[in-house]
Amino acid sequence: MIHWIRKLGQKFALLTALAIVGALLCATMIRFAPGYGMDERELNPGLSQVSRDAIRSEYGTGESLISYYDHYLRSLLHGDLGTSVFLRRPVTELLKERAPLTAKTVSLGLLTAWIAASGLALLTIRFPSWILGHSATTLTGLLIALPTAVIALVFVLLRAPVFLGIAVVTFPKLFRYQQNLLAQAHAQPFVFAAQARGLTRNRILFRHVVPSVWPMLVALLGVSSSMAFGAAIPLEALSDSSGVGQLAWQAALNRDLPLLTSITLFVTLVTVGVNFVADATQERRL
Amino acid sequence: MWGYLRIALLFILGCTTATRGGEEPSELHFCLHGEPKTFNPILVDDEASENIRYLTGGVLIRVNRQTQAMEPGLAESWKVSKDGRTITFQLRKGLYFSDGTPFSSEDVAHTMRSLMDPQTHSATGDAFRSGPGTIEVQTPSADVVVVRFPAPVAGLERLFDQVAILSSKSPKKEMSVLGPYYVSEYKAGSYVLLRRNPNYWKHDARGNPLPYIEIIRLDIQRNRDIELMRFRRGELQLINRVDAEQFERLQKENPAVARNAGTGLDGEEMWFNQTSSPTLQEYKRKWFQQTEFRRAVSMAINRVDLSRVVFDGFATPAFGPVSPSNQFWFNSSLPAPKHDLQGAQALLSRAGFRLEGGNLKDPAGNRVEFTLITNSGNTAREKMATMIQQDLAELGISMKVVTLDFPSLIERITRTFDYDACLLGLVNTDLDPNGQLTVWLSSGENHQWNPNEKTPATAWEAEIDRLMREQASLSNEKLRKAKFDRVQEIVAEQQPFIYLVNKNALSAVSAEVVGASPVALNPQVFWNIDTLRLNNSREVGAKQ
Amino acid sequence: MTQRVFRTICCGILGTVFVVGLFAQGFTHYPYALQFREFPNAAPSSMHLLGTDGLGRDFFARVIYGTRVSLLLAPAAALLATAIAAVLGGVAGLRGGWLETLILATADLSMSLPLLFVLIALRAFLPLDVSPVLSVVATFVTLGLLGWPSSLRLVCAASRNLRQSDHLLLARATGYSNSQMLFRQVIPHLRPIFLAQFWISIPLFILTEATLSMLGLGVMEPLPSWGNLLRGSEDFSAMSANPWRLVPLFLLVLTVICFQFVLPSSEELT
Repeated sequence: MIHWIRKLGQKFALLTALAIVGALLCATMIRFAPGYGMDERELNPGLSQVSRDAIRSEYGTGESLISYYDHYLRSLLHGDLGTSVFLRRPVTELLKERAPLTAKTVSLGLLTAWIAASGLALLTIRFPSWILGHSATTLTGLLIALPTAVIALVFVLLRAPVFLGIAVVTFPKLFRYQQNLLAQAHAQPFVFAAQARGLTRNRILFRHVVPSVWPMLVALLGVSSSMAFGAAIPLEALSDSSGVGQLAWQAALNRDLPLLTSITLFVTLVTVGVNFVADATQERRL
Repeated sequence: MWGYLRIALLFILGCTTATRGGEEPSELHFCLHGEPKTFNPILVDDEASENIRYLTGGVLIRVNRQTQAMEPGLAESWKVSKDGRTITFQLRKGLYFSDGTPFSSEDVAHTMRSLMDPQTHSATGDAFRSGPGTIEVQTPSADVVVVRFPAPVAGLERLFDQVAILSSKSPKKEMSVLGPYYVSEYKAGSYVLLRRNPNYWKHDARGNPLPYIEIIRLDIQRNRDIELMRFRRGELQLINRVDAEQFERLQKENPAVARNAGTGLDGEEMWFNQTSSPTLQEYKRKWFQQTEFRRAVSMAINRVDLSRVVFDGFATPAFGPVSPSNQFWFNSSLPAPKHDLQGAQALLSRAGFRLEGGNLKDPAGNRVEFTLITNSGNTAREKMATMIQQDLAELGISMKVVTLDFPSLIERITRTFDYDACLLGLVNTDLDPNGQLTVWLSSGENHQWNPNEKTPATAWEAEIDRLMREQASLSNEKLRKAKFDRVQEIVAEQQPFIYLVNKNALSAVSAEVVGASPVALNPQVFWNIDTLRLNNSREVGAKQ
Repeated sequence: MTQRVFRTICCGILGTVFVVGLFAQGFTHYPYALQFREFPNAAPSSMHLLGTDGLGRDFFARVIYGTRVSLLLAPAAALLATAIAAVLGGVAGLRGGWLETLILATADLSMSLPLLFVLIALRAFLPLDVSPVLSVVATFVTLGLLGWPSSLRLVCAASRNLRQSDHLLLARATGYSNSQMLFRQVIPHLRPIFLAQFWISIPLFILTEATLSMLGLGVMEPLPSWGNLLRGSEDFSAMSANPWRLVPLFLLVLTVICFQFVLPSSEELT
């Protein structure tokens, strides 16, 4: 018990450290990337020099990176994530408004993709036939080759929810990995041995094949959550769904340092958190 | 008991019928192309906020977007002093803000003081800052305001079209307005809902209160393809700006909804980097600083093709900074731009350039090649750049096209000056060229080809400086025009900016909307929002 | 038998596409950049097999010249990303401990960071007048170098699984070094994962290249690629008015499907 608590504590500390490192790395990248501190308002000929200087000072380009880190970490301890330069609103407020929609969209999208991908992968293994196999390959080939913008617009056209778009983007990748893993496991000698002993195909599949690839499937769960969130960004931006993905897109285009840093913190927490849970599940099983 | 029940039922039915009137309240539905950053009209500096300001703000003087003439707004009349420093307004009496707060001269004084506060940084306020010193605002009575500026302000009256009056007393602050609508709901990232201002001062010719439409719903929609799709489905009733390719398709499907208001104010231009930046190679700088080189490039560009191919004919070749739709300020005596390859080659030969094996070389033997940068994501600009690339290839000039994200592009053209040539658009919201002083003055930050010069680098730039300063100090518009006409002539001769096209003002208006008459000035479609109606709906004030 | 037939057909298709792309000038006499300005957005005709694009350029010429960039470079970038994932994931899974934690943390961070800014910085470091070839190669190399994190966890989980397996214990007992174990035992065992990753990455990189041109990277005008030819594909009314513009999408789908049939299946590898 103590061992588990200690392990949990270590994981939590690592998670927090990684999230903060991620946020600070993001801040560094943005700060030093070309175009930081540039605002298209500067191209407005109606602005006076004083106004231009005021616009430039909003970006804090005069502040050194170390003092930015210091300021950011201190504010973070007080729960203050800063103010968006682009939208001129507190980042905390923006994330509170939009996170629930994205969480719901990504979760539903991921769930749908997993059900579809797992179902199809298991079908192709359980009922091996060249028609089913090649149809699945053709379908996934078509879906993976479709640009995300096209997928986003199809769903807007059909008035379908954004989570289905996430499912469509994630499903072919999930299917391909799962199918390959299951096919490899199904071709192992122990499966032939089990068949020779008279076990049914369902039993072999669900009681022997799937458990043998379980660690990889769990790892895939962690990876797929990043895939799903990655898909959410362009999908929300293109279909104008007011989630965190759309916010991230706008923040990236406008070099909004406080907003992007906080979104990275949030994304790192989720990504690393899901992967840690996946790792913990594998460890318990082993 | 049953009797009472019957009465109650009748009452309920009656209320329902009365409320419904058989119809829903009229709702106009269109899109903003970005998140409004502020509802405070004096801090507006983005298009979405500007549109909301237009719909909700009451102004002293309104520029009629159709006639481009000034009309009384909250001020019945006004007078500008001979020295151009003082303006006196006679305000309308008996007006109220949307929350019932009475309107008086004190509100105008409060607005002007807030606008001119040194802590307020906005283009609206900066337009009034003609010189050092503070403004004085006097309110001799509840309906008279006198505003005195430290220096003459050119085109003073027109500037008040952008100044929406704030209440000095209302607890709702900037949300209490004098315009036709007020902001009723706002969901970030989603929509803004405007409702009819019950205290709006305007009435139609029959004495009915305006506006006619009760509700305006503005969805926040960045994606133009989705906007068009929704318009086609009938979810939106208008699109304020449609791009040429979408317009052409819309026109084929349903000519009645596609509205072309003619040449707009916006244009596209390119320029060469003439700064002394160390990142620009000296031999390239020499080319770009030569008038013959710039004029040759200008002559080699086929503007008719640009208008026809990129904008499907919904653009006109441009040769100057002012669009022909800017009726007063356009210099109609400027020569029409010519596509003349032989003329271009002659100019280059005169300047010492020569063709060798199909490649143009300068007198020192350097191959003439440069890079044109433009912002990514703008298909029309990318197409124009590619067409210019082919046009210049006929002169033996090799031009590479590089698209950059906007912040990186801004950094190159305003800070590092690490570029050869740039292609960008001109968005003109102000008819008066005085709003572009920082472009024309050689010391200006927006003097794009060579900003922030300590002294004018050339005689013609010195001449432009002189003319622009003179016109800024005059109040007589005819005299100002004469000076600015000369500026336009110099620009046409020297080609510091190579103007390419003026785009047409294209919009889409559904048949449901009655009274729309799109124009070139922004907002193109809903400039007359208070008199627009919707077919088959109950509108307050509309003739039944 | 059927599998062999499919494989042969797919090899034939891929080979044809590859040859047509490589020897494009033999299949069309129009340069990909030449603008027939009198005929923008023209429908297919005897003069222009797939019509023309918005600037009057022959679309068939642009598609087949675009094949070179997409079909040569995207698989190369996919191979690079897969190779990096294979080595790093294999090492992490085999060694375990702090090395595994470090590599996995790096992968997780890479997936969370907006690597858009790395690409913007790359554009800033390259001179504006960099040659189109160098710009394209730099883009795909960068994609390859940034594309490894997504499959790393899978590779790591699989090699962790193998760590205690009998054949690895046997290999260790016979004196295999760590690198021999990685390259001769672990990596061959994980080929199904690598194949999946490789197959997924190809269309992803082709389409990402088109997005990167918005940052000034990737393929610059007038050079065509399948990615930049597909950039307008989300405009449905344009596509329905000019359906031949979807030919690059059709080719992309066909190529992706053919790759899947050509590459050995998991059963064959086992």
